[in-house]
Amino acid sequence: MMPDITERNASVARTGDASGAERSASVREGSAARIERVSPATDIIEQADGFHILMDLPGVPPEGLTIDLEENEVTVTGRSSYAPAGSDRRMHAEFDAVEFVRTFTLSDMVDRERIRAVLKDGMLNLFLPKAEAAKPRRIEISQG
Amino acid sequence: MVIDFSTLYDMPKSFESMFDEMSRLHSFSSRRTAYPLLNVHENDDGYTVDVSVPGVAPGDVELTLTDRNLIIKGERKPTEGRYFRQERLSGSFQRILSLNVPVDRDRVSARSENGILRVTLPKAEAVKPRKIAIEAPAGGVQ
Repeated sequence: MMPDITERNASVARTGDASGAERSASVREGSAARIERVSPATDIIEQADGFHILMDLPGVPPEGLTIDLEENEVTVTGRSSYAPAGSDRRMHAEFDAVEFVRTFTLSDMVDRERIRAVLKDGMLNLFLPKAEAAKPRRIEISQG
Repeated sequence: MVIDFSTLYDMPKSFESMFDEMSRLHSFSSRRTAYPLLNVHENDDGYTVDVSVPGVAPGDVELTLTDRNLIIKGERKPTEGRYFRQERLSGSFQRILSLNVPVDRDRVSARSENGILRVTLPKAEAVKPRKIAIEAPAGGVQ
């Protein structure tokens, strides 16, 4: 069965990528600080009541997160506010402040009115409930 | 599963190795790195270790300070359900950071914000840089 939420320009899923995010080459210019754009590591999980999109957004504060729903596309943009303390000397570095961007296409199965988003501990949980009509239903068989 | 026992990172012991590190720092390459990702900064007062642990509740991270090492241990619990896509790692993780400098164990602190854990390790008083006053000979210069 095909997933009901597809990613636009989806690349091959990189399961188990330890870097946690796919680095894209594009760097946003124009803003005061050049900030790298990355595609956040994402899980898409189906549960009985709908789909959960879990996204790693380390360093993104609630005010740095926007979720836009346009037509059947939902775009998540999160800007990390991570900054090293003071004017410290950098001894070892593996991550930096980045801008996370990812777009998904929703199917008609999703009830747009009831989409919920929770950002906690640097992880976004975007809940896409199934529309009533799409929920599995048992059909009673009546005796003839 | 993320089980990583091999990441023993030595803080640069000499200036040479530190500059080596520095030149490598500026390229955040897509090379495979250990999990969780961490940054280490230094200032005159101490070291700051920032650990990227999105989706991990602060209570699920265990920090242990031994004689020579800072051990970061934790678990990222998977969510039940049918996975259409799985890119986030789940399972237990561990990273060991070896400390080659004495830290003030009683003043080590940690706080977590937006999935980034910041551990502050103040240097022990004995190794802090100190200005040495030069005493002028009594009676002044003739």
